[in-house]
Amino acid sequence: MYFPYFASYILIGFVLSLIVFLWALKNGQFREQQRARFLPLEDEPDRAPAPTTRISRLETWALGLLAVAGLLASAAILVYALING
Amino acid sequence: MTTDAHTADQPYLTAKGFCITSGLWLVVATFMGLLGATELIAPDLTENIGWLVFGRIRPIHVNLVLFGFVTPGLLGAAFYYFPRLLRTRIYSDKLGVVTVLLWNLTLVAAVVSLAAGHTQGREYAEMIWPIDMLVVAVFVLVFINLIMTVRQRREPVLYVSVWYVCAAVVLTGATFSLGNVIWQPTSGALVGIPDAILLWFYGHNVFGLLLTPLAAGVAYYVIPRACQSPLYSHTLSLLGFWSLIVVYTHIGTHHLLQVPVPTWLKVISIVDSVAMVIPVMAFLINIWYTARGRLGAIHADIGAKFVFTGTIMYFFVSIQGSMMALPQVQRVTHFNNWVVAHAHVGVLGFAGMIALGGLYYVLPRIAGKPLYSRFLADFQYWMVLIGVVGFTSVLTIAGLVQGHAWLNGETVYRVIPQIHVYYVYRAALGLMIFISAVLGLYNILRTLYFNPGEAR
Repeated sequence: MYFPYFASYILIGFVLSLIVFLWALKNGQFREQQRARFLPLEDEPDRAPAPTTRISRLETWALGLLAVAGLLASAAILVYALING
Repeated sequence: MTTDAHTADQPYLTAKGFCITSGLWLVVATFMGLLGATELIAPDLTENIGWLVFGRIRPIHVNLVLFGFVTPGLLGAAFYYFPRLLRTRIYSDKLGVVTVLLWNLTLVAAVVSLAAGHTQGREYAEMIWPIDMLVVAVFVLVFINLIMTVRQRREPVLYVSVWYVCAAVVLTGATFSLGNVIWQPTSGALVGIPDAILLWFYGHNVFGLLLTPLAAGVAYYVIPRACQSPLYSHTLSLLGFWSLIVVYTHIGTHHLLQVPVPTWLKVISIVDSVAMVIPVMAFLINIWYTARGRLGAIHADIGAKFVFTGTIMYFFVSIQGSMMALPQVQRVTHFNNWVVAHAHVGVLGFAGMIALGGLYYVLPRIAGKPLYSRFLADFQYWMVLIGVVGFTSVLTIAGLVQGHAWLNGETVYRVIPQIHVYYVYRAALGLMIFISAVLGLYNILRTLYFNPGEAR
């Protein structure tokens, strides 16, 4: 007998959604829609990123080489598969 | 533009915790995916190593991607933008840190128990009862922190991202409890067809009512910020939100069109799957119109670049999902790798991309320093993009081969050799994503700690 679980869930979900929707309606959540569009922008503007140091650039290149090695391993697997597949 | 004293100089401990959690578990999750993909090529690879067999690795991969990588990544961004959109401080960073710690404890327990073979054997709901209860507990803690932040807000209007995140946490807490049948601790299941209905109600909703709204919330915040342009229409965004709540909850049964589920339920699931075009297009039109003419600004910000790409993936996965719910299409696409391709576009291409975007957008802001390496982040972007497009292509082809072979009465053992090469491609693409995940974790940790960049 599973219907009571499903029916209860539907009923609870429906009632909760309705309560939240009516709260939003009464609370004026649907009124200031033009102002709401700007809410993410009502904050300090982002600053331009600061330049990185020489060491961090070298480190980044080293990591990049490591990543390329990984990519080459992937490519090698593909070639092997194509030749022996 | 105003700097709000209430939001300035926040420690963002919860956001930091969730960002690190996401980056760390992405590495583990992608490794498990890579291992699973390798085992499909070479089934004897982990022979006699019980805790590494495919049947245990696969649920670990899926649960870690879901609860370890994508959800914490999206929550990390949410815990950053909630106080800013509501012009208040987060309710309790202490509670947030406790939540993050408990979240990680839950993930460790999930990995250990699944590897040890403790499973309830239901797809996406494999975790055993004590861990199910931990998952429910962390969602309750997240909800308390977020709803109390909403309660103490100084901005009267709730921006659409706030609606999406609150709904995601509440609906997932409820759906997870119901779908995992937590009132039956020993089995975690009902019996027969009712269990299948309940499982797929949960199985689809855990993505659609958790990842989709959380990702939409991040996109609605990051894209206007990056473009420095107001949202195209807040009314349209709310229409999309409420239509998602109404439509998405019914579509799980489209996974069960081949089984003796009541026809009316199948019809509802198909109709609502097609109706998903309403919330999807409401979201996409809104985001794309907001970004119209400002693609340069999106390209300049690596976070926004990830997020915008995620929205394009959302378009593809949603159109595909609506189409796949049609019985005539599903005769070919179901029970094969087509569905695996679809899942990867949705979870990695859409929600995962947006999680990484949200993470890279908030990291420099919560660290107070620039991102450690834009190059590494760009590298990860391309690896994930190539990986997910590659997955989709390769697995879709394999799925079509399988689907048509089975329709023609071909036996399974004759089809497997034909799709073997596609499994090799998948493992190669998985290796790329795993490598980028490792570099991504390094970038995250270096941005938050040991960052030589100039403080902002």
